[in-house]
Amino acid sequence: MNPYWGAGFFEFFIVLCSRVGAWVMGHTSSLAADEIQIGVLSCVAIACGLVGPFLVLKKMAMFANSLSHTILLGIVLAYLLTSSLWGGGMFDLSTLLIGAALAALITAFLTEGFVRFFRLQEDASVGFVFTTLFALGIVLVTLYTKNAHLGVEAVMGNADALHISDLRAAFWIALLNFCTVGCFYRQFQISSFDGNFAKTIGISSGLFHFLLLFLSATVCIGSFRSVGVLLVLAFLVGPYLTARLFSDRLCILLFLSPLLGILASLIGVALSRHLLSVYDLPLSTGGIVVSIIGLFYVMAFFLSHLRYKLRFSLKKIFKLNNFT
Amino acid sequence: MNYALQAKDLSVNYGETSVLWDVTFQVPSGVILGVLGPNGAGKSTLLKAALGLIQPLSGKILVLDRPFSEVQKKVAYVPQRESIDWSFPITAEEVVLMGRYNRLGLFGRIRQADREAAESALNLVGMGSFAKRQISQLSGGQQQRLFLARALLQNPDIFLLDEPFAGVDLATEKAIMALLKKQKEEGKTIVIVHHDLPTVEEYFDWVLLLNTRLIDCGPVSKVFDRKNLTNAFGKEQVLFSEAADLSAKKMSGLL
Amino acid sequence: MSLFDFFTDPVLRGPTWGTLLMCIASSLMGVVLFFKKRILLGESLSHAAYPGVVMGVSFFSFFFPAHEEWIFLAVLGGAFISSLLGLKAIEWMEIKGKVHSDAALCFVLAVFFGIGTVGASAMQLVNPVWYSQIQMLLFGQAATMSDSHIFLYAVLSAFVACFILLVFRPLQAVLFDRDFAKSSGIPVLVLEKIVFWLLLFSLILGIRSVGVVLMAGMVVAPVIAARQLTDRLHFVFFLAACFGALSGLLGNILAVVGSSFLFPEEKLNLPTGPMIILVGASLALLSLLFAPKRGLAFRLFRIISFHFRCLKENILKALWKKRGISFSDLRKEHVVSSFFFRLALLRLSQEGWIEKRDEMFVLTPDGVQKAALVIRLHRLWELYLAKSLGFEGEKIHNNAEEMEHILTPDFEKRLTAFLLDPKEDPHNQPIPQKEREL
Repeated sequence: MNPYWGAGFFEFFIVLCSRVGAWVMGHTSSLAADEIQIGVLSCVAIACGLVGPFLVLKKMAMFANSLSHTILLGIVLAYLLTSSLWGGGMFDLSTLLIGAALAALITAFLTEGFVRFFRLQEDASVGFVFTTLFALGIVLVTLYTKNAHLGVEAVMGNADALHISDLRAAFWIALLNFCTVGCFYRQFQISSFDGNFAKTIGISSGLFHFLLLFLSATVCIGSFRSVGVLLVLAFLVGPYLTARLFSDRLCILLFLSPLLGILASLIGVALSRHLLSVYDLPLSTGGIVVSIIGLFYVMAFFLSHLRYKLRFSLKKIFKLNNFT
Repeated sequence: MNYALQAKDLSVNYGETSVLWDVTFQVPSGVILGVLGPNGAGKSTLLKAALGLIQPLSGKILVLDRPFSEVQKKVAYVPQRESIDWSFPITAEEVVLMGRYNRLGLFGRIRQADREAAESALNLVGMGSFAKRQISQLSGGQQQRLFLARALLQNPDIFLLDEPFAGVDLATEKAIMALLKKQKEEGKTIVIVHHDLPTVEEYFDWVLLLNTRLIDCGPVSKVFDRKNLTNAFGKEQVLFSEAADLSAKKMSGLL
Repeated sequence: MSLFDFFTDPVLRGPTWGTLLMCIASSLMGVVLFFKKRILLGESLSHAAYPGVVMGVSFFSFFFPAHEEWIFLAVLGGAFISSLLGLKAIEWMEIKGKVHSDAALCFVLAVFFGIGTVGASAMQLVNPVWYSQIQMLLFGQAATMSDSHIFLYAVLSAFVACFILLVFRPLQAVLFDRDFAKSSGIPVLVLEKIVFWLLLFSLILGIRSVGVVLMAGMVVAPVIAARQLTDRLHFVFFLAACFGALSGLLGNILAVVGSSFLFPEEKLNLPTGPMIILVGASLALLSLLFAPKRGLAFRLFRIISFHFRCLKENILKALWKKRGISFSDLRKEHVVSSFFFRLALLRLSQEGWIEKRDEMFVLTPDGVQKAALVIRLHRLWELYLAKSLGFEGEKIHNNAEEMEHILTPDFEKRLTAFLLDPKEDPHNQPIPQKEREL
């Protein structure tokens, strides 16, 4: 029986805290569905919050969009590969990682290839590559599974049908991102800021560029089941833009972005539960979390604007006082 | 060591257009070299080829008598200001510290000695009080000084600066030049891609005139004369550029 | 069913004509986005339309549940408002929020889509039948279109096309050089506002057939295909519309055929969107490869035939310098595959430039003239490099070896004039003079 059943918004947090307390004390019990949701979404938020800032700084957000669409094809190909080689399942971690690598390679290679060999302009190349590959992915998935609805799941995910295996996969991906960004923070920082200078001091911008692509692909793939390929973009970009309104230090931004994502996930899951309990409305949790991410940005914008105006008018008042 | 910078039959293409063609020259060490030429003459490209950022079509270019990868630690590069996104969340101090990343390798930590060196470099360029400032709040001249401080921190034998005086106030320009002249007195070589002809004789010992091909390279007194300037900025070039374009188009099958 | 049936059969003709017409408008606007380098704006806005679609359908299901065939009006209206909000949000983020366009596009895309997802999930509960309508709009489902749809989409597409025709001249000016257009008095800002509204309009028109998620593909593929084939803007528009219509037509047919093949009993319909995109992408790829002037295949062919011509001209030069060379001697000088070498000799003799006399190759009188021309170009160029540009050494000859095959007659005239009709090259060899025309 789900301990969160029938809980309203605030009761949700009370139940959560008590369960966390119980867990700390040693009274372990199996994770409730809502907790799995929070876990997976938090892992997604952590991974995205660490990789997203660099993507935005390198003006690669729309490329990440492209990448997240190609993920579908990557998964299909990886699945075909692993199932014939060693009978891997579609959502095994190894399949996912191979799929991520494939997707990153294919997207980068084709996009760059169209620009260089066919002399296509960059934005057209990006748009062409991902729509074609995504359409191909959908057709393959439909043909293979004879199910015409998988495309929808791919795009929106289903945060309300997550299992413990999803949590495990999401955790490892979050850990991978955390370790990589933590290890190579300096290299990522400098290759995002001044790629040419980075090359001249021996930091291979190309290598770290591709590493960033690979990490983004793992993040997209890791979020495939929970939020789908489109909503993960909100996790990548939203928290960073919000945090940027409050801080100018990259290391702080890399801390705030995951935090904001986790916060949005907590509130989102609680709200989803509340709407289910009180209004009998089982809404898409993923969609709710993303909407909250959007809301955070809008609120933060007005807050920072207000703060600026306040500071400005305070300065004016002080100046007037100084004159008298 | 023979030459600080030298090239032999260096040809570089950008897509299909020939940007540098059969460039050969030698520049001794301990001079301040000005690289001059009209827009699109290949000046930045020359610098980038020297740094290994661009692969030449043919020929070679050596820094301190060696390919760049072998002398990387002794070379400091100051890129064009406009190639940077100045809204990046980073402070002046952190930018200067990048000059030390070279020595730290993959996992090294920034030590106190590095921080103090950065602080003194900032003081040297007159930016001591701006250490914690966000780079978005700096003026053009301050940004340029910041880059110079970063280069100084690398403690190189040769400086390569790409249009350091573009969009910079006169006071900063003079201050930077004074600093570089001091570096030259310590035996370093300075290479500057420059665009302002009236200041050439004041700033440089040597001059390299470029217009896709090499016009001339040598001491200012010998090379910076009317004939060479006409050649560099004049109209004889036109037929050549058109022919080069035509050639590139034929080679890539567009015509 | 034959192809003809698709256009006439009462069940099939709605989707057929409908998709065909719908894709025209988006292809036309794709041309504008392409030249403004803002293709990805189409991607962002089409996703931003999703919450509006949801709202429109739920609004409709609330108030007019009985008139299912008019639902597309609600869809269009909702989508339009929603993507307009999306456009405003993007602009606001870019200008007030100082966010880079790239991040703004991505953010609006994802957040709006997320909001739509929430709404859709509500619909799923409240009214599952209408929910499936919404889901169809993700990837396109043309199957249930009727004749009234054909009429409406024809009118709307014609509206977009006519508008573009009307503002073609100022639009062309703005796409080519915005600042100049502004300075020459064209009301650029008004025009851009109109263009953006047209864009929104075209995007939402196509949603029914291609779907929200894949709309960007219908914007980019037709213009890529068209651009390869022509340099004239009005032809680009025309061809893009044709390719768009063709993609819509074939894609729809494939989806119908595929549905009956895959799901014969279940009466399940394949989404039309992916098929249309794949057809469009194939057309674009074909164009990229085989377009007459810019296609890759033709470029490769031209490169090869250029190198072949260089080989032939080099052989002619060798024969000009030394009358009568044996095959083996000639072969030594030219480092190419044996096949090409023999082919070159064969072609040269077929064309009448060389002939064989006693086991030696010589130039025919025509061949002498042709060779002399190449030599002339070589020596003229050498003189230009040495005298005007101050080059020295090996470089001069090497570069001339390359340029002699490239310089056109026009170039030759200009060089002659520039160098004042010279008679000797830098090595003091005579420059063959142009034969006076009789």
